[in-house]
Amino acid sequence: MAASDSNTDDSLYPIAVLIDELKNEDVQLRLNSIKKLSTIALALGVERTRSELIPFLTETIYDEDEVLLALAEQLGTFTPLVGGPEFVHCLLPPLESLATVEETVVRDKAVESLRNIASQHSPADLEEHFVPLVQRLASGDWFTSRTSACGLFSVCYPRVSPAIKAELRNHFRSLCQDDTPMARRSAASKLGEFAKVVEIEYLKSDLIPMFVILAQDEQDSVRLLAVEACVSIAALLQQEDVEQLVMPTLRQCASDQSWRVRYMVADKFTDLQKAVGPEITKTDLVPAFQVLLKDIEAEVRAAAADKVRDFCQNIDQVNQEFIIMTNILPIVKELVADPNQHVKSALASVIMGLSPILGKHNTIEHLLPLFLSQLRDECPEVRLNIISNLECVNEVIGIQQLSQSLLPAIVELAEDSKWRVRLAIIEYMPLLAGQLGVEFFDEKLNSLCMTWLVDHVYAIREAATLNLKKLVEKFGPDWAQNTVIPKVLAMSRDQNYLHRMTCLFCINVLAEVCGPEITTKVMLPTVLTMATDNVANVRFNVAKTLQRIGPFLEPSAVQTQVKPILDKLNTDSDVDVKYFASEAIAGIAGNHIAVLYRKNIFFILFIKM
Amino acid sequence: MAESSDLDRQIEQLKKCEIIKEAEVKALCAKAREILIEESNVQRVDSPVTVCGDIHGQFYDLKELFKVGGDVPETNYLFMGDFVDRGFYSVETFLLLLALKVAFLLDIYECMNFNFSLYNFIVYVLSQVRYPDRITLIRGNHESRQITQVYGFYDECLRKYGSITVWRYCTEIFDYLSLSAIIDGKIFCVHGGLSPSIQTLDQIRTIDRKQEFKIFDFLSIKVLHTSRLMMQVPHDGPMCDLLWSDPEDTQGWGVSPRGAGYLFGSDVVAQFNSANDIDMICRAHQLVMEGYKWHFNETVLTVWSAPNYCYRQCGNVAAILELNEHLQRDFTIFEAAPQESRGIPSKKPQADYFL
Repeated sequence: MAASDSNTDDSLYPIAVLIDELKNEDVQLRLNSIKKLSTIALALGVERTRSELIPFLTETIYDEDEVLLALAEQLGTFTPLVGGPEFVHCLLPPLESLATVEETVVRDKAVESLRNIASQHSPADLEEHFVPLVQRLASGDWFTSRTSACGLFSVCYPRVSPAIKAELRNHFRSLCQDDTPMARRSAASKLGEFAKVVEIEYLKSDLIPMFVILAQDEQDSVRLLAVEACVSIAALLQQEDVEQLVMPTLRQCASDQSWRVRYMVADKFTDLQKAVGPEITKTDLVPAFQVLLKDIEAEVRAAAADKVRDFCQNIDQVNQEFIIMTNILPIVKELVADPNQHVKSALASVIMGLSPILGKHNTIEHLLPLFLSQLRDECPEVRLNIISNLECVNEVIGIQQLSQSLLPAIVELAEDSKWRVRLAIIEYMPLLAGQLGVEFFDEKLNSLCMTWLVDHVYAIREAATLNLKKLVEKFGPDWAQNTVIPKVLAMSRDQNYLHRMTCLFCINVLAEVCGPEITTKVMLPTVLTMATDNVANVRFNVAKTLQRIGPFLEPSAVQTQVKPILDKLNTDSDVDVKYFASEAIAGIAGNHIAVLYRKNIFFILFIKM
Repeated sequence: MAESSDLDRQIEQLKKCEIIKEAEVKALCAKAREILIEESNVQRVDSPVTVCGDIHGQFYDLKELFKVGGDVPETNYLFMGDFVDRGFYSVETFLLLLALKVAFLLDIYECMNFNFSLYNFIVYVLSQVRYPDRITLIRGNHESRQITQVYGFYDECLRKYGSITVWRYCTEIFDYLSLSAIIDGKIFCVHGGLSPSIQTLDQIRTIDRKQEFKIFDFLSIKVLHTSRLMMQVPHDGPMCDLLWSDPEDTQGWGVSPRGAGYLFGSDVVAQFNSANDIDMICRAHQLVMEGYKWHFNETVLTVWSAPNYCYRQCGNVAAILELNEHLQRDFTIFEAAPQESRGIPSKKPQADYFL
């Protein structure tokens, strides 16, 4: 073969092509080549990668953004290819250039790669190569480099000497007070992670003042990032320090004039709650939460409403019930009637979770009226969010209570004039059936499920059909035979051909879950009588049904009962009936052959053994 | 056994609101013509059937209609014209309906190719005799070369295919569409209404429909080939009237503000219904906010199946009339498909005229 006598020069040829393509005029070719950079480096060996490839790449920094992005990504994984951690610093020059380019995506990728390789530096290399890079970036002329610098402090700070640490802190402080909002935003977003690696005394003396300044920035985009940092910082401090150093700022953020900042506070509220602990939660966060729940902006109210359950859950057990009942619940009651549907919907998705916290008595007295009014809300999403969380209330107050109070509303919803609402309720029926149990279901919901089968909207009839199948999967074939199947079979005599066909569609899916005996003895006779229906659509659906339930019938019935009827349909006066009958005959024959074939294989195997 | 045919694929594609190839449109139209040419001007339709009004290229609302009414072939449908114009998806709407119409006939050809027994083959050959189809399409006033050049279908074909070839194929099919239908001999279905030149169904049966009908050229503003059309004598024959007329709370005949067809009163309807031994006239053509509207003591019915006509401008609901095998009536109302289930329209709707 040709490969056996190829020499090393030949094997390097593809690499030469790739290197050539790194300089190609076509962007796509350069991009392809950059993506195979590790192959090139591997072929060149560590020495030449360091001395030739990396300097070459450093020079190509003025390329298209796409190529630069690929390069920035590749270099983050290049350590082994330049000779391991010992030489990792040689990757810094190209990445430093990439971290200063105009395109944000490229810069971010370069910073990500720099963060990756920082840990691979020895402490000495870190001080000699990495920290100077951070300092250069932090004092760069253009905001792009200063923005990039912010993300590099936390990865080198822990492993350098105290003197250099002091320098780094000073650089970070000046970035927090940068002239450009872009750099301040970057500093604010990295403040939290930097705080985690800075010694506690310097956190208090150096970083918290910065936090206070950023939280008062003229740009709301900076202030809202400070809220995020607040969570990290609060988690690092003792209770009294939080009270003294963080809370004044947090209180101010919670009532910021920009709704985006207030939204951020609401969005991070449970994180804040965990960070500050139970005492401050009681004294400070509860009032703040009340204010957010009443905010004039719907977005803020929705974000706060979304946290109601988690916030209440995390309140100190001793005061939990009292605080919820006196401080939170009155506002929640107002929110149930909020003019904004997103707020109502957010609340509806969590409000049922209050039930286990407050217990049976409070649930019945205070929560049930709210659930009831939400079940009748004009917004379908609100109604659905309540329906889909019924289970946790059921556990607290029991099925009896639930049925008395909520079921009428559910039934009302099941007859909603909008078919999409009905559809959504149907989709929750199997879930409800599971929660309520068979007896209760038979008593209250079964007739509803049967009513949907004769709905005048096809999509509802279709969903109701599938629903039946799922119910039988839950309650078993015996239940099906006693409660569902008689009603389904009665539909075969309906005045309306669409409903007679629904009977067939039900049999199609019930056959799968009821087993051969019920299918053959109970359902098949009805299907066969429908073969003489006056309406062609029903007759060709008989053919389709026979084909579909064929595999679930007792084999003897296929030949003696099904086949003759199909043959008869195959001579029908309607072209579609004939077509589907012949399809069914072929289908059943196919099945039969398949069965024979399988048996044959076993037979052959058997003989061979 | 049943391999999915080309046509099945085309239907699947059209159901996703994707256009099919020009060559496929040509083949589809050729097959549709073979079927349509055999249909009577008063096509006989058997109950049960679901009767639908104007669709106007509102493709996603047509899909909503099928969700509410059931799929073809399980549910039988009669569409009373105005498939195209105004909406964003006239091409997809008309081709889907046409493909559904020819689908079952074609499946038989497909099976012949895969014939598995001589017996079945003979059955298929025998089945070439025509039977009532599962879906019946009759012509509306927008199924016309003139009108589609002004109200969107022409431009849509040009935009989606880069040429007017598909428009030519489709408009040729328009000429073959039946003018009316009669359900169980009792319910007369037509797009617009009656004509002073027509007293009996037999008179409709004698019209040579395979022609572009002419109307008063009140659309002269934008019509292409204007000069040629303007030269022609305005023609307000019976065929045009069937597609353009409206019922009006008067007696006798009146001049239509549309500039084509007539206004007809309750006495005209009573006369026509008794002369032809029919119970009612079912028609579309006029927007009605509740989706359907009775006239003249339930002897004329308007059915409208384009919800929120012209996209958010009218706020109307749509209706379909479900007739069971005993001709019992059941109206199903539906609203426009929710925004999230729609594609993004590629062009603004056409300018308004009378609604």
